[in-house]
Amino acid sequence: MIAAGCDVGSLTTKAVILNNARLLGHALVRSSFNPEKSASEVMEKALASARLTMDDISLCVGTGYGRERIGFVKKTVSEISCHAKGAHFLQPSIRTIIDIGGQDCKAIRLDAKGEIVKFITNDKCASGTGRFLEVMAKLLGLELGELGRISGQATHPITLASTCTVWAQAEVIMHLNEGMPKADLAAGINEAMAARVAILARSVGIEQDVCMTGGVAKNPGVVEAMEKQLGVPMRRLRLDPQLMGALGAAVFARERLGVS
Amino acid sequence: MKRETREYNLDWMLWSSVVSGSKVMDGTDKEYQALLRLIPNFRGIIDTILRQGEPGRLFMKMGAEYLDDIKAVHEKGKKLCFGTFVASKDLFYAFDNVVPAWAEILTVFATMMMRKGTAEYMDYCCEAGFTETSCSAQRGSVGAYLAGLAEKPDFLVCGAPGICDTNANAMQFMSEYLDIPLFQLTFPSNLTGRRITDYQRKDYRALIAFVEEHAGSRLDEDRLRSVLAEHRRQDEIINEIFDLTRLKPCPMPPIFNLFLYAGRLQSSGRKSLTALLESMLRVVRENAKAGRAGTVSGRERARLLMCYIDHYTTDGRFWQWVDSQDISLLPTLIFTFFNRGINYAEERQDQTYEIDTSTMDAMIDSLADINSRMPMVKQLRGPYDAAGMWREDLFCMTRLMKPDFAVYLGSMGCRNSYGVNKLIQRDAERFGLPTLLLFADAFDDRVASWEFCVEKISEFMHVRGIVS
Repeated sequence: MIAAGCDVGSLTTKAVILNNARLLGHALVRSSFNPEKSASEVMEKALASARLTMDDISLCVGTGYGRERIGFVKKTVSEISCHAKGAHFLQPSIRTIIDIGGQDCKAIRLDAKGEIVKFITNDKCASGTGRFLEVMAKLLGLELGELGRISGQATHPITLASTCTVWAQAEVIMHLNEGMPKADLAAGINEAMAARVAILARSVGIEQDVCMTGGVAKNPGVVEAMEKQLGVPMRRLRLDPQLMGALGAAVFARERLGVS
Repeated sequence: MKRETREYNLDWMLWSSVVSGSKVMDGTDKEYQALLRLIPNFRGIIDTILRQGEPGRLFMKMGAEYLDDIKAVHEKGKKLCFGTFVASKDLFYAFDNVVPAWAEILTVFATMMMRKGTAEYMDYCCEAGFTETSCSAQRGSVGAYLAGLAEKPDFLVCGAPGICDTNANAMQFMSEYLDIPLFQLTFPSNLTGRRITDYQRKDYRALIAFVEEHAGSRLDEDRLRSVLAEHRRQDEIINEIFDLTRLKPCPMPPIFNLFLYAGRLQSSGRKSLTALLESMLRVVRENAKAGRAGTVSGRERARLLMCYIDHYTTDGRFWQWVDSQDISLLPTLIFTFFNRGINYAEERQDQTYEIDTSTMDAMIDSLADINSRMPMVKQLRGPYDAAGMWREDLFCMTRLMKPDFAVYLGSMGCRNSYGVNKLIQRDAERFGLPTLLLFADAFDDRVASWEFCVEKISEFMHVRGIVS
């Protein structure tokens, strides 16, 4: 039986299609102001990549901010549960997940069965989220993906004193005006991000294996900075980490269909 | 502050709304439904309260009595004592010419009933010089007083030093800003022991002298005896209600939690509270007898213990939500009261108070003991792991009431609780109580919206398997 998961996030919408444990297709689109439309668009793409139609899907589970607005899902599950389910499905040795999405970040600790033992989400501000990196990339005139790549070329990464995104921008502008290389700025930005999220991660108790999920996990600069901050290696998952919520939703759908 | 906010005094607006609200059930149901349409900003909370029948009506009437006293204090030739909720009301009701107005109670009324809550009063405090992380429960009403939008207090009483620095600073600020005399009760870091008791009783006598000086009248022995006798009767009823809330399903309607502590904090020792409590007890007993939960549906899906305070923002949506989710709301931990007979004080009698009305001295000692065991005064004084404090109370309540989960909802506005909430969570989880820490402000939606809070609580309930 074919199961699907759809994750409508604040910045991107993702879909994953599974046949038992086999990944048949997936897609990712930019979220629009209309969650229902984003969900339909991404599902169409995922179905096309799997050469299927909606009629072939036995059950679809929704997750993410816009999950209640998806017309074609039969059940909704929280993002925390979905990220945990997806990561455990791909790599059962995972015990700690650090998920950094567009507008929030979460640290989740699992037991050996993949059950959630503890979790925490960010509060107060957006400094430890994907939006922070977006703002900074724009400021440096870089694509989001470049922010991670060029940070590897840094020789003297800056230290950002401010936690606040807006004030951090002011600091970066000051360094730009001083002629500081973009690589050093990018590395400093990634490190600031990792330092902020590491506080959250440590508060649930780090247990190996540790992995990162969400769009920011595709930024090698942040992943490396996080490894330094936490003193543990990050387990790389064999699927785009941004799809983890949608994958977890698909696994939930699969379980609901009685496929173990 | 906007011009329209300055148009009416805060105390007048609250009085007007609550007095009107207390009368809406006097007519027919059709009239009631029509009236609800006229109060779009707070019809949810009014309806939630009045749907309780007699207890709801008595709660509204008690609020109307309280606010009428405050609004017309000088008109009636009385003195207005403004202060914080951590000072027991009994003493003030024993003076025939003193009206006590507590900042937090007025903030709760305004937060629930005004369209944008108390945001403008809070911001006015910051304009005047408060920090932005000052207690919002204070700022929500103090802003109106600083702006001259309420009857000016004649004197201030604060029971916070040693308990809450933001409370203490707010009252000191208000005293300096408005040039009003202030008395501050101070609390040592422990609760029990002869030396502590003696200190608190001596300090309380100094408070009485201060009130007598500024009220221009003497504490009346007969009147005090009558207030304390009423208080004792109220304790007996509260104790029975607390006992009944142990049942599964919990027979106490969620909103009764508000009635319990708001009533005690606002009208302790007054007959209007006794009438309300008697009426509440009848409802709780009936539900218990029928094996019915206190929720509207009569079902109980989960038992929630708010391990700090509840949530009050616009239209009191918190109570409507818990009820709609069939969640039983157990007595909120920070609003527990420690009389000798209360169930959660079993084997901890040294932490309780007793009321002795035999002599004037005995009554004053009783007042001092009541006051030093007020909500927050007991739980948040001294260091985190001191005996008789927050954690111990949480464990005792958990053993007794068997909540399925606990929620801490607060911000750094309450530094004493926010500073140790991760320890509370850690220890509660070790104790077997799933506990959610929620960064939000019970009085200020701008910190985190109520929708955000609902999302997080719902997510927690699902992820932790509390509900399926």
